[in-house]
Amino acid sequence: MSDARPWSRTPGDELADATAHGGVYLRRLVRAQLALSLVALVAFGGLLGSLPLVLLLVGRLQHITLAGIPLADLLVAVPPFPLFVVIGWIYRRRADAIDDAFRTLVRGE
Amino acid sequence: MIALAMVAAVVVVAVRLSVTGVRVARTPSDLFVASRAVSTWWNAGAISGEYLSAASFLGIAGLTLKVGAGALWQAVGFAAGYLALLLFVAAPLRRYGSYTIADFAEARLGSPALRLLSSAVVLLISGFYLVPQLKGAGIALDELTNLPYWVGVVVVGAIVPLGVALGGMRGITYVQAFQFWVKLTAIAVPAVLIVIHLGGLPTGPAIFGHSFPRAPAGGLTVTLPAPTPVRFPAASAYASSSGRHRVASGGERTLPAGRVRFAGGAVLPAGPDVTAQRGIEWARPVSSSGDSSPLFLYSLLLATFLGTMGLPHILVRFYTSPDGPAARRTTVSVLSLLGLFYLFPGIYGLLGRAVTPGLYVTGQTDAVVLTVPQAAWPGLPGELLGGVVAAGAFAAFMSTSSGLLVSIAGTLSYDVWPRLRPQHTIGARARQAHFRIAAPLGIVIPVALALVAENLDISLLVGWAFALAASTFCPLFLLGIWWNRLTAPGAVAGIVLGGTLATTAIFLDLAHVGGSGAAGALLAQPAVVTVPVAFSTMVAVSLLRPDRGEGTDRHLLALHAPEELGFDVTMRDQNAPVGVAAR
Repeated sequence: MSDARPWSRTPGDELADATAHGGVYLRRLVRAQLALSLVALVAFGGLLGSLPLVLLLVGRLQHITLAGIPLADLLVAVPPFPLFVVIGWIYRRRADAIDDAFRTLVRGE
Repeated sequence: MIALAMVAAVVVVAVRLSVTGVRVARTPSDLFVASRAVSTWWNAGAISGEYLSAASFLGIAGLTLKVGAGALWQAVGFAAGYLALLLFVAAPLRRYGSYTIADFAEARLGSPALRLLSSAVVLLISGFYLVPQLKGAGIALDELTNLPYWVGVVVVGAIVPLGVALGGMRGITYVQAFQFWVKLTAIAVPAVLIVIHLGGLPTGPAIFGHSFPRAPAGGLTVTLPAPTPVRFPAASAYASSSGRHRVASGGERTLPAGRVRFAGGAVLPAGPDVTAQRGIEWARPVSSSGDSSPLFLYSLLLATFLGTMGLPHILVRFYTSPDGPAARRTTVSVLSLLGLFYLFPGIYGLLGRAVTPGLYVTGQTDAVVLTVPQAAWPGLPGELLGGVVAAGAFAAFMSTSSGLLVSIAGTLSYDVWPRLRPQHTIGARARQAHFRIAAPLGIVIPVALALVAENLDISLLVGWAFALAASTFCPLFLLGIWWNRLTAPGAVAGIVLGGTLATTAIFLDLAHVGGSGAAGALLAQPAVVTVPVAFSTMVAVSLLRPDRGEGTDRHLLALHAPEELGFDVTMRDQNAPVGVAAR
């Protein structure tokens, strides 16, 4: 990649030689991925983490029933699982996109 | 008989599939990680198959029957663990290319001592995770055939090492994927058919109302293998070999061995370790104290959320993905497969409360999945469905045990044995032979422990493994992957302190030190304390003794840079794992 443009150093060269510039590119990648993971974690933690307290404080959920089953039980037994898949799916697409952007940057395209 | 035939069929097919793997299992890389050529859905099936253990198949339903809807959180936590794996570990670890946790620890932090410590923790977690699998096999065979408990333990303890030694991991990948579908079918089909047969999910005063569990209209006969101490939550009566007895509310009795008869509508007593609950208490997924208090639940969710990534038999599967994005895809697929499975165990707990209340008397709540079909649908249909469930249960014991034993044998033959004989160079062929010797050796101690653990809940035993994993390997991975200032002394200090605290808490809980308040909840489920302690110890020790040697950025590059850029520098030769190549 550097042969094509001998007059300029690509981000790939900086990374391979572990220069200060390379370090900046690397930290930017790690930070972007970590920020994405933390956003997904907050979404997960907010939705699932509040569920025990909501169920404890909103006693009515125990008395409203669906097909004879209290809503409080149904809320624990079913919706968390599709929620995980949706969070995981969205996360995966964004994480792959960050990888692609980095790949483009390093190859100097 | 039908059930036994179905169990035998599953076992025979599983062993056959392992042996088919032998032809391709030639090099250590075949044995350990199946040459990294496993497709996304095969791998996701294999991960799920390996993960769905006795705890998922029998334990959640058993705990739901025993303590109530609060046990449903366990299924949620077991699935959520893969989200943590996906967000923080899957792709980087795959890119780094280490074979085992110990490999990662040594390569990332350059410390042979840390490698040995990690190996010890791997053996501890795998060994203790094996015990509940074998216990499950023991009670399942007991339930099916009335053979003594130890027979099932010993039978599975003999078959599993055979498959592992013959097949290694290549064989195991296909076996595990096969086992996942066996398990999903075996838990879903009977549940759906039984609910249709009963005309809907059972509801009633003992389930969602104000009644304690009672004997059904026709009366209930319970057969006790030994004299059993019980407590009657309300006034009741029973008939045994010593005659008819009336008991006042709160009365404690020791029921004699043999048949005990309760007349229709009589309130049933609670057996060993069971607390009688009214329907409305039982059906509450969160309550202000005890085993479904918010403190306990958050600690449980934390342990399962963070512990999954530290389970050695699961992690090794991520190395079989071809690259980082494939590891991510695999994990999302795992989340959907597990989500499907975890809809069902709770249904068995609910059915059990309605049709097998006798389990409250015997205390054998872990057997509920196996006993529900015949109780709910007497006759041939119940017998057939019982066979299907039993076959699925055996698939669960076999697959999880195999995965754990691969980790144990791999660690013994690959991390421990070469250290004991440092003057010898060990060739690929010899290493393979060691792996095959280590497989049967590695299961001896877990079998012995399972033989004495008959009365411990499967969920309790598995919870211990999760808490330990979350307090040791989870901080090692999260900090090792995302923080370039982690040092080897920091990692060692965190693992030792977190592991010791978690272990101590569980043993104190086994000795019933804590009582039923917040202290008891923390001892039974210590993660909410031990995980932060392990994290902060690692960070504090790393900052106190900084060791910013050159090359930390090189590790982060290898962990996070996408493939095909040439930065995955740590490992090119598939047969020479990082730690070995560096020496």
